[in-house]
Amino acid sequence: MDMYAILQVTWWLLLGVLLIGLATMVGMDMGVGTILRYVGRSDIERRVALNIIGPHWDGNQVWFILGGGAVFAAFPLIYATAFSGFYVVMLLLLWSMIMRPLGFEYRSKIDNPRWRNVWDWALFISGFVPMIVFGAAIGNLFRGVPFQFNWNLTSTYTGSFLGLLNPFAILCGVLSLCLSVYMGSVMLMNRSEGDIHARSRGLARLASLLSIVLFAIGGIWVHAMKGFVRTGGPLAGTAQTPLQQSVQLADGAWLSNFNAHPVLWLVPAIGFAALICGHLAAAGNRSHLAWWLGALSWLGVIGTAGVALFPFLLPSVSHPAQSLTVWNASSSQLTLTWMLGFALVFVPLVVWYTSWAFYVMRGKVSAEHVASDEHAY
Amino acid sequence: MHDPSVVDLSRLQFALTALYHYLFVPLTLGMSFMLAAMETVYVVTRKSIYKQMAQFWGKLFLINFALGVATGLTMEFEFGTNWSFYSSFVGDIFGAPLAIEGLMAFFLESTMVGLMVFGWHKLKAGQHLAVTYLVALGSNLSALWILVANAFMQDPAGAHFNPATMRMELASLPQLIFNHDAQAKFVHTSIAGYVTAAIFVAGVSAFYLIRHRHTELARRSFRMAALFGVLATAGVITLGDALGFIGAQAQPTKLAAMEGLWKTEKAPMPFNLIAFPSQKDETNHGQIQVPYVLSLLVTHSTDGTVPGVDVLKKNAAARIENGIPAVEALQKLSADPGNSQAMAQFKAHEDDLGYGFLVQRYAPDVSQATPAQIQKAAKDSIPEVAPVFWSFRIMVALGLAMLAFFVMAVIYTMRNNVQHKRWFLKIAVWMIPVPFLANEAGWVVAELGRQPWTVYGMLPTWMSASTHSLGYMIFSIIGFVALYTAFIIVEMYLMVRAIKQGPTPIDSQPTLGGNDNPALAHAEA
Amino acid sequence: MKTFLYFLLFMFLAVIVIAMAVILGDTGAWYFAWLIGTTMIVLIAAAGGMLLDAQDDHAAEEAAEREATAS
Repeated sequence: MDMYAILQVTWWLLLGVLLIGLATMVGMDMGVGTILRYVGRSDIERRVALNIIGPHWDGNQVWFILGGGAVFAAFPLIYATAFSGFYVVMLLLLWSMIMRPLGFEYRSKIDNPRWRNVWDWALFISGFVPMIVFGAAIGNLFRGVPFQFNWNLTSTYTGSFLGLLNPFAILCGVLSLCLSVYMGSVMLMNRSEGDIHARSRGLARLASLLSIVLFAIGGIWVHAMKGFVRTGGPLAGTAQTPLQQSVQLADGAWLSNFNAHPVLWLVPAIGFAALICGHLAAAGNRSHLAWWLGALSWLGVIGTAGVALFPFLLPSVSHPAQSLTVWNASSSQLTLTWMLGFALVFVPLVVWYTSWAFYVMRGKVSAEHVASDEHAY
Repeated sequence: MHDPSVVDLSRLQFALTALYHYLFVPLTLGMSFMLAAMETVYVVTRKSIYKQMAQFWGKLFLINFALGVATGLTMEFEFGTNWSFYSSFVGDIFGAPLAIEGLMAFFLESTMVGLMVFGWHKLKAGQHLAVTYLVALGSNLSALWILVANAFMQDPAGAHFNPATMRMELASLPQLIFNHDAQAKFVHTSIAGYVTAAIFVAGVSAFYLIRHRHTELARRSFRMAALFGVLATAGVITLGDALGFIGAQAQPTKLAAMEGLWKTEKAPMPFNLIAFPSQKDETNHGQIQVPYVLSLLVTHSTDGTVPGVDVLKKNAAARIENGIPAVEALQKLSADPGNSQAMAQFKAHEDDLGYGFLVQRYAPDVSQATPAQIQKAAKDSIPEVAPVFWSFRIMVALGLAMLAFFVMAVIYTMRNNVQHKRWFLKIAVWMIPVPFLANEAGWVVAELGRQPWTVYGMLPTWMSASTHSLGYMIFSIIGFVALYTAFIIVEMYLMVRAIKQGPTPIDSQPTLGGNDNPALAHAEA
Repeated sequence: MKTFLYFLLFMFLAVIVIAMAVILGDTGAWYFAWLIGTTMIVLIAAAGGMLLDAQDDHAAEEAAEREATAS
């Protein structure tokens, strides 16, 4: 493999890292939003829950923004084709997500039950909808998306909005929602006491159990699906467009990477193991451990999807030959090199100061202190 | 192919969401540094009034910041959702600064803003000050990378077209970053944010001084805002001129539109103080001119000249004719990348590829383009003159008004008697909307003046948009308008409410202390 | 009137400074200028705040002295 192909695979891996970071960090906050009305029965309980993630939601959200930016920079054709193809879904995602910063900042500014109730629902929608969409988008990659290119690579999406809400996509969406609820719950367990802690613990156990079941069903389903196989075209690591390859559909083809390299079965195994251990850790009140096991579960789940699809990133169900792969959708070698340099410097830096921020804000959040602190949400 | 009304609606939606986002961004850029300045005084003097100031203005900062973050999400994804071809055509270059912005700047700003709000009791005073400075640095670095990306659209430096991938690719990142347009525009925009914040702080302080409320806080805030603002305004004007000078070379059509320059004139050129440009007749109906000034402004000499619309159109027509063979060759290369004859033809004409695309709007098969279609495309190469011309004048006039305001404000506040000049305080309150208007006008000049291109001279706007149906576009615009209208009502309500409530009295605040004791730490979130 | 003359004088100075900056830096090293300029703006604003406190103290002292001489 030459340098360009290595860079392409590196960026494919980095994209995975970003997605896992996004799912773990933003997913946690969105999980809290989803369960806010259940774990917090009174206003003060809800404020405690919000203030637990209060100092971090904004930083965490950048994983989402960076995810968008990194796809744009490293795989521009994916950014262009997927985001415009999924137009209505993307709008629902955006509109629900832009309510979130306001939900956090504005909710507790006015002491009025109706006002706060509206923002609680806004936070619920902005936690629930994006996680369903996130999972459903990945689910749709397995089925392929109906799009095509003209001679100059102008893409046209030929499907409908409802086509994106097929059963497999919904399964993936619910799985992603369950994982986010799990992460949100263990975060609340970690920093709260009493009723909130107890309710979160119950939810964490339920969500991890559901995740195990859904992940297993998804795995069985994929066995029966038609997968995509690249049967010809320019070699990996050569400059190319998606108009030059040939692709076929075959039963069970999404398992071919696992069959070719059995060691890859470790990835889904990690997912299952982490989920099972996470379930036990939540039950045993080991919330810190449970959080890290949740992150590991995301790694297992997203890693499994990535390995199954590789080298495909966005298969076209209407024009399989025009499917987007790691080889034909990536940026140029120079851009990938520069971006890798920036990532190597800044990702560790980001992880370092994010950890510091969590360290500074460590400790339990209690009702008295939320009520007495004028800076609290 | 592209439905022209879908392209127009995509432009409308982008303009609406960008202009809306840009209502909140400048205040963040400037306010963060003003907070840092106030907190610096607190850390140096340990006078609690300055901590109260930092916290009070910080509260207003956050109300504004939340909407800036929320509407910024839209911008990050709107290139992909609505400008699909643009994104794939230049993503290799344009995506990089956006991703670097997230990595280097937005993470820093957002992580630190959480600590800035919640960290008052958990960090030592010096640490908290450092956090505030990092918020300011992060938000301005964000602006830097966004404007590096924007400068590429204005003047595509450091990039080339690669026929093997059918898109533009990065040739040099340093060239992209140190693009003259990027340098001048970043500084111009960043410190325009300082001006916005200074006017805002001065105006709200004046409101308190008029009502004799929170006088100690308001006097100090007004003083700091006046000094902050007068220096920043002088900087904005300087950089605005530099930007005009740079733009004159990189984007002559924008300059012609800004100045209502239809006919190329001999040096020294007069400046159109007021004119009524007509796109149809390609002339100004009535104008008031000042001799010599245009040559001085845009070439910094009395014998410099710049081309008018007449010459620019002629140049465009020639480039379109030269660009047609490039598009033809590219079409052959798309079907057969190994066609060496087509490659040779492409190489001979590639500089004018974008102009070939310009006529493809009217002649989908460019080899059949008629002279009339070429003339029509050449006419397209000139942006809408009247709105650019007037937005430019509004921006400049408001900028000069703000300079005059700040000079006056400095005189009064340095004499320490501004609190007795009620007429001036009233003006200060009325100045609050002025910088916002100037910022929006500046955006219109820069982006409407760039038309008909998304990437100047390379990629026309008409082919950049996503191929959505009309229904999708109407749906999304209605959604954005409804949501954004609700948001601004809530934001304004909370802002006005917070201003009316005023700062929290000092004695009711918990004391600040470096609290590193984990046993106590939980007591204060 | 005196204030207005001051205003004209300072406006004139501001215009001269801007004109000089314009002539010096057509395509200047603006990123560097931003670093220096921002630092300067923040520090001068901070110094202005401290000066106000000093002015207040000074005025209070003068008032106290006047009172002392009057009594």
